[in-house]
Amino acid sequence: MSDLSPGTPSLGGAPAGVIHDIGYRHYDGPRTGRGPATAALAVHTLRGVFGLGRPARAKIIPFLLVGTMMLPAVVSIAVMAVAKQKMAGYTEYAVIMQAVLAIFLAAQAPYTVAPDLRFRVLPLYLSRPVTLWDYVGAKLAAMAAAMFLLLAVPLTTLFIGEMVVDLPGPPDTGGYLTSMAGAVCYAVLLACVGVAVASFTPRRGLGVAAVIALYLLASGVSTVVAAVMESVNDYDAAAWAWLINPFFLVDAAVQVGIFGAEPSAPGSYPTGIGVAAAITIMLGLIALSVTALVIRYRKAASR
Amino acid sequence: MTILATEGLSRRFPRVTALDRLTVTVGPGVTGLVGANGAGKSTLIKILLGLLEPSEGAAQVLGMDVTAQGAEIRRVVGYMPEHDCLPPDLSATEFTVHLARMSGLPRTAARERAADVLRHVGLYEERYRAMGGYSTGMKQRVKLAQALVHDPKLVFLDEPTNGLDPQGRDEMLALIRRIGTEFGISVLVTSHLLGELERICDHVIVIDGGTLLRSSAISEFTQTTRTVTVEVEEGRDVLAAHLAGLGETVTAAGRTLLVEVRAPETYDTVRDAVCDLDLSLIRMEQGRQRIEDVFREPADV
Repeated sequence: MSDLSPGTPSLGGAPAGVIHDIGYRHYDGPRTGRGPATAALAVHTLRGVFGLGRPARAKIIPFLLVGTMMLPAVVSIAVMAVAKQKMAGYTEYAVIMQAVLAIFLAAQAPYTVAPDLRFRVLPLYLSRPVTLWDYVGAKLAAMAAAMFLLLAVPLTTLFIGEMVVDLPGPPDTGGYLTSMAGAVCYAVLLACVGVAVASFTPRRGLGVAAVIALYLLASGVSTVVAAVMESVNDYDAAAWAWLINPFFLVDAAVQVGIFGAEPSAPGSYPTGIGVAAAITIMLGLIALSVTALVIRYRKAASR
Repeated sequence: MTILATEGLSRRFPRVTALDRLTVTVGPGVTGLVGANGAGKSTLIKILLGLLEPSEGAAQVLGMDVTAQGAEIRRVVGYMPEHDCLPPDLSATEFTVHLARMSGLPRTAARERAADVLRHVGLYEERYRAMGGYSTGMKQRVKLAQALVHDPKLVFLDEPTNGLDPQGRDEMLALIRRIGTEFGISVLVTSHLLGELERICDHVIVIDGGTLLRSSAISEFTQTTRTVTVEVEEGRDVLAAHLAGLGETVTAAGRTLLVEVRAPETYDTVRDAVCDLDLSLIRMEQGRQRIEDVFREPADV
């Protein structure tokens, strides 16, 4: 930025560090295309989700929730070190911590989309090389990456802890890898649904409320229906009822269905055709959310 | 050299026709686009940015076709929208740097350009503060800065003087003039006030209801329409008759007379006439042409 190049000897008596108004300067440096610009947007959004590059008060909630997510992992390592026995498993981590994941999603998904809609920043993006779909893709990728990190960091910490403590018997590498595959699916499903719901209102508070309400509704209905079905001894129907909760859905579809882990729900999941159905429902929900986003942004862009 | 050109450009929405067979060409420098609200100015800019498909006709910006090469056009043009577009919790620096990166500038270049451009538009220490606390004038400057940050070849400024007080308006107009001359960036600026564009534009395009009313260099524009308003205390009709007798074209408008200026001598004629008739002259004012005047005239482009 300095107008004086460091090697230039300053003239005798002239103060070094004078600001010269050298007028307007043209830029003839490199210009990247859509790809790097979209990546920059995704990284910018991902940092923002965790409150980085934002005021201190924006950091409180994400850091608090990240801390809470780490707690079971840290306690488990301590218990492993002292009592030499395992506590939390890998595949059940997301299910146990589902409320924290849901609160994080509800609190941060609206941040990714609402301000640009509310303060009408979108036209400024669209007047640049990035397209509408680059924009939506970057926002989704950032939220999915945030959800993945939120889940994968404590799981990885737990796994490293297990290897360092060196319990008798081999480490549960299979469980860890299964939980990582699960984490990818959790991240994609939750981010798509969360961002899609949040995009329908330019008000952040309303977006937070909508996402959390949707989670409470799904988990409440799932628990109540499953309990009722179990009370009339219809265990097949109860197994299906668990799938209403998105956290059990991914567990049933991926961790249990594909990788054969132990179910983390209080009951069992449907088997056989049920696994295929769970996978289809999961992919269907993702597709539905993306379609909703496409429709929403078509409308927003034409404003 | 042609900066942008449209050929029979139309855009119809289900209920309204925003642009109707518009054919214009624009050269380098500052060009004003004048029209009342709903005349099709913003629709034209959206089509030129490649964001809206024309229903019919074609348009080129910097030699590139808007339908086929929208992305290439958006790399080298800047756009300042009419509406508010600033998130209140970001500082002007953060916002401008971010949008520079969205235009494809690498991180360090984006920072340098943002600092440079914010200084050029006249934002200094306040650029580190959150934009929520900015005055309208400062907000307009940030909006202008984000349009210039990637050093475009052409900028579209949609109603840049909207909401500014007279002093802010003058400063903004001076800045736009500097962009067109000193910065060497061509400008297409819209307004519904012809008077303010007269001062800074090389060329003015007037549209109404999506059709071209006239397009001409500013010199022709003012030459053909220059009038002087004369107001006297009493004896308006006497003066009118006297001036008409001297060969001037005079029309009465309320308490005042509009005298067409054929040559600089017309001013002398009016002064002498007022003296000869011993009238009390209240004011003599250069006729400021307004958008309405253009609408009143037949569209003889």
